[in-house]
Amino acid sequence: MKDNNYYLPLTIVFVFFGILLSLQFQAQNRFASDLSMQKTENLIAMVRGLSDKRQKLALEIVDLSSQLSSQLQNYNDEKKVMESITLQMNKLHIVNGSLPLKGSGLIISIEEFMPIVYTDLIYTINELWAAGAEAISINDHRITSLGTISSAEDDYNIYITVNYIKLEYPIIIKAIGDPNNLEKGLTLPGGIMDNLALFNAFPQLEQIDELEIPSARSPFIYYFLKEYKPEEKSGTELVSPLTTRYDSNNNLNPNNVDKGH
Amino acid sequence: MRLVLPIMGLILGAYIGSTLTFQLPAVYIKYMSIAVLASLDSVFGGIKAIMEKNFDGATLLTGFFTNALVAALLAYLGDRLGVDLYYAAVFAFGVRLFQNLAIIRHHILTSFKNIKIFSGDDHERQ
Repeated sequence: MKDNNYYLPLTIVFVFFGILLSLQFQAQNRFASDLSMQKTENLIAMVRGLSDKRQKLALEIVDLSSQLSSQLQNYNDEKKVMESITLQMNKLHIVNGSLPLKGSGLIISIEEFMPIVYTDLIYTINELWAAGAEAISINDHRITSLGTISSAEDDYNIYITVNYIKLEYPIIIKAIGDPNNLEKGLTLPGGIMDNLALFNAFPQLEQIDELEIPSARSPFIYYFLKEYKPEEKSGTELVSPLTTRYDSNNNLNPNNVDKGH
Repeated sequence: MRLVLPIMGLILGAYIGSTLTFQLPAVYIKYMSIAVLASLDSVFGGIKAIMEKNFDGATLLTGFFTNALVAALLAYLGDRLGVDLYYAAVFAFGVRLFQNLAIIRHHILTSFKNIKIFSGDDHERQ
């Protein structure tokens, strides 16, 4: 009878035994991994290993910091290069006409009643370039290296075109440069102004401290242009006919002998 | 097959013990270990009693708890008094544990042999 009754007490005992065991396992694990319980030899080995590691890490720090400084150096260099490239690009934009510009200069206004043909405009522009103009626009058409000034006609009259667009009156030419120089360039005795005066055209000149010139309408893309550098000829390649008559063995070279001799 | 319930109890106890956040202070680990040894001895004693068919639940329960407590207390007292009763307890419980183990093994072996003989007889009868 006693035999069949052992489940309950044994189970209770086993539950408590399990709790005891796992608690003891945990405690013992914690205790064994505690530094104060380690053997001296192990501790020495651990200290050595850790100090080795520390040295390696310190070396790594030195290495990485030198890398960092070199990277910073590179970055600064790249920044300088970028700055110079941006400067150059801005200059090119100015020359190209892809940037609106500002500066002191001269305004020439031509009214409708003045008898003017497109060649007069070309002469004026040429004169302005010659007088040191840095940027020119006609009625807000920027004049670049690709600008055209021409004339066209419909059924009733002839009109002037700039960049293939009909020019409306009043024609206003803006030129950035030294205003005095520009004005003098136009008003030279026998110059373009005197020439126009012969035809009863008297354009008004006005010196302005702050002029604004717009950018060109559409930037031009170059497909075929390539930079060309002439080859440098070194002195050694210049050979006299005398030396070429003989090959390396000092024999007469029949190919190089003048047939006339 | 009959040991399924106690083994489930053991697993449940281990699970409860692992989920407990209670941490035993390092000073008491020594006493806890001797308590575990004592309870282990009680458990084997109980199994031995089942094998010998003179099992008593009250004896096992009281023996389990009192053995564990008294062993831990004695070890603690020994430390206080400067006598290493810890080793005495380890020795006493260790010896009893192995004796119990030996008896259990003996019983298992004999029952196993009996089963074999009976099955052999059955085989001959058929």
